Amino acid sequence: MDLLNNLLLGLSVAVSLQNLMYALIGCLLGTLIGVLPGIGPVATIAMLLPITFHLPPTASLIMLAGIYYGASYGGSTTSILVNLPGESASVVTCLDGYQMARNGRAGAALSISAVGSFFAGTVGTIIIVLFAEPLTRMAQKFGPADYCSLMALGLVAAVVLASGSVIKAIAMVFLGLLFGLVGTDVNTGAQRFTFDVPELSDGIDFAPVAMGLFGIAEIVVNLERRLSRTGGTIKVGSLWPTREEVRRAIPAALRGTALGAALGVLPGGGPTLGAFSSYTLEKKISKHPEQFGKGAVEGVAAPESANNAAAQTSFIPMLTLGIPSNAVMALMVGAMIIQGIQPGPEVMTKKPDLFWGMIASMWIGNLMLVVINLPMIGMWVKLLTVPYRFLAPAILLFCCIGAYSLQNSTFHVFQVALFGVLGYVFVRLGCEGAPFLLGLVLGPQMEEYFRRAMLLSRGDPMVFIQRPISLGLLITTAVLLLIMALPSIKKARQQAFQEEG
Amino acid sequence: MSRFLSKDFLSGLLFIAFGLVALYFGQKLALGTTVRMGPGYVPRMLSIILMSLGGLICVVALVAGSEPVERPKLRPITLVTIGVIAFALLFERAGLLPALVVLVLIASLGGEEFKITEVIGNMVALAILCTLVFKVGLGMNISIVRGVW
Repeated sequence: MDLLNNLLLGLSVAVSLQNLMYALIGCLLGTLIGVLPGIGPVATIAMLLPITFHLPPTASLIMLAGIYYGASYGGSTTSILVNLPGESASVVTCLDGYQMARNGRAGAALSISAVGSFFAGTVGTIIIVLFAEPLTRMAQKFGPADYCSLMALGLVAAVVLASGSVIKAIAMVFLGLLFGLVGTDVNTGAQRFTFDVPELSDGIDFAPVAMGLFGIAEIVVNLERRLSRTGGTIKVGSLWPTREEVRRAIPAALRGTALGAALGVLPGGGPTLGAFSSYTLEKKISKHPEQFGKGAVEGVAAPESANNAAAQTSFIPMLTLGIPSNAVMALMVGAMIIQGIQPGPEVMTKKPDLFWGMIASMWIGNLMLVVINLPMIGMWVKLLTVPYRFLAPAILLFCCIGAYSLQNSTFHVFQVALFGVLGYVFVRLGCEGAPFLLGLVLGPQMEEYFRRAMLLSRGDPMVFIQRPISLGLLITTAVLLLIMALPSIKKARQQAFQEEG
Repeated sequence: MSRFLSKDFLSGLLFIAFGLVALYFGQKLALGTTVRMGPGYVPRMLSIILMSLGGLICVVALVAGSEPVERPKLRPITLVTIGVIAFALLFERAGLLPALVVLVLIASLGGEEFKITEVIGNMVALAILCTLVFKVGLGMNISIVRGVW
């Protein structure tokens, strides 16, 4: 009964006019950046973070969440129509979606992907509702040592997502943790690495870092590559799939949803991983594997459902434990902190309206996306013809204004420039930005828990393996590291990322 | 020479360099004991781990080899960075409009095609959009042209 009451509370919050409006804005913005290659949800959310100052907490989180799952919708549209994945999560959709479009089934592919995504989003929301309470109750038993180990697990798992070498990604995590230490030491008040810059005493703000690493660096790389558009004229055709297509799509969408939802919950999992795994699964179990890559319906339905299910369930670790599982979630944590909410198990008990309102709004947002997007496909496709030379300066400008408005100080704009250069160096050296950002966000908390755990154990590091929860988490971490080091897994992982690139 | 100019070797060096910088500037921070850690304990621990990882990456890169770095094109990154810095310098002193004009101009120079009419059109569109969204819509406390509006 409790569950039902909570959901009703959430729905009543989510359907208020203001929140509906922000969900709509978020979904539209998300679709927009999903359609446009060259800008992703991380940079967009970082740009918009300062604006959320002016909004009530629930509205701002609803909007940011809308951007996140809207982006995966938009990304699939362009994958299917013009073979341009707007987001990494929809790269696999290109393989069969674009072939379907070339066979004249673009409309069917779009509606299958939209309905599949909506179904997956609904399941994902239900899973969040079911898991949120037990996980939160479990999290309340966590001591400092357990939290420290949990964060270690989260950070290591984030490495699975990085496409380069594992050891470089781990080094990036540590570099991020180190950058996270800049500022005033909470326990002693000592200034660390602030170089007498007053703006640094509060630590490095991660929003300008995200803008630099993901916004600026990406613009520069695109300018180098002379990113050009191949819009062309596309016939969408009938949106109705044939009976045969429906028959094949339904089981694929179900499997995709299940796999995506499971992978999304894991720290380090997320839409991209879900989409890739479910495509591979479909190809393995299909009776006609030779059809894949030539317009197989399953190849659209499964990854599209999976990426949306994963996008939803990746909120679970963030909402219940306060541990972000990917770069977008790290920014969501930041958005909550900006609003004075410490993410973690307390959110659900202390701010039930925010917690359940956000969850309910995700479902509403998914519904909106189907309703808005299918009729508006023509407009999104037109946007693709905007050349990058117009977009690049605009994105830069929004990054700059966004950074300035964080604290009305040009210091953050300089910071964007600095991290833009650093981000460019990272791209050139093949180092991933996401593990760095996660380390930066988790760094201060992790140090805090680490020091508290050591204080409680009187300096005995054995505390991390004496507490069962912590031990379990550390063993999981070690197993993950070992699995990644196995030659066969390593090879498969490389192959998966090669297909992606 | 080329084996030292590989992606992995250089990133290893980068990690070592960051570790050294952190060690150098963190040397005055008190270490404390494992029970009561001072502000310097965790930074030192992290720098040492980072440097060892960096060293390991370097060794692996030299033994196993890795991709060579591509020759960077300096034009886009330099112009984009200059554009952002110019924006930061102009924004409070001169206002949004001058900063916007300079940023869009410099950033457009970083691209491949540069048509002055297009760039001006882009500037006008962005100026109107930004004024409407940030000044009028969100009511942010920024001036469009310093001293005028």
